[in-house]
Amino acid sequence: MFLARVVGTVWSTVKWEGLEGMKFLVVRPYHLADLSSDPDAPPTGAGDGVVVADILGAGVGEDVIVAYGHAGRMAVEPELAPNAKPTRPIDAAVVAIVDKYSVNVNRKNK
Amino acid sequence: MMLGKVIGEVWATKKHERLSGAKMLLVAGLEQSDGRLLPTGEVVVARDRMGADTGHLVVVTWGSGARKVFGLENDSSILCEAAICRIVDGYTDLEQLFDTQGGV
Repeated sequence: MFLARVVGTVWSTVKWEGLEGMKFLVVRPYHLADLSSDPDAPPTGAGDGVVVADILGAGVGEDVIVAYGHAGRMAVEPELAPNAKPTRPIDAAVVAIVDKYSVNVNRKNK
Repeated sequence: MMLGKVIGEVWATKKHERLSGAKMLLVAGLEQSDGRLLPTGEVVVARDRMGADTGHLVVVTWGSGARKVFGLENDSSILCEAAICRIVDGYTDLEQLFDTQGGV
């Protein structure tokens, strides 16, 4: 899973029929350099947008948590029975809309 | 699996119901270079039930391995893609290890 900022939306008319009505967003993952002023942090990569499915109703400018793979498919089919297999061809989805986050890169804890 | 350092925590009230009940921690990925652990720049969100805290070195596991940290082996309904599976006490200097074995 990763933390990301919603930067846009995607819409299409020709699509797999099970995806009717589903919203797709473009998100930009946060890198270490975005979250801290740590001089050791490598520079942020440019142009690494990810298209994700969303049923929680996230909007542009909000921070979200995105899950890949099986967890992402489960997130867009909440009505699914336990142990039933997800059916939609989805690889990444919003699983939470972030209220707040705290970051402290310098803290030592042994 | 990924070696990382816990750098923070995320809170969300609007979330998938199967995501409730565990802390979500921000973990910065690390790689070893010249005997030091340096950040890769990647940051992931991992669920935690081991009691990890900011500053801890941890190992993050993905996919079905992560779901096993959280519940029954065959319950695929748990929504979990990344989980902390151990808190690290120490690690081997990989480069030193490889040097003594003739390199890789």
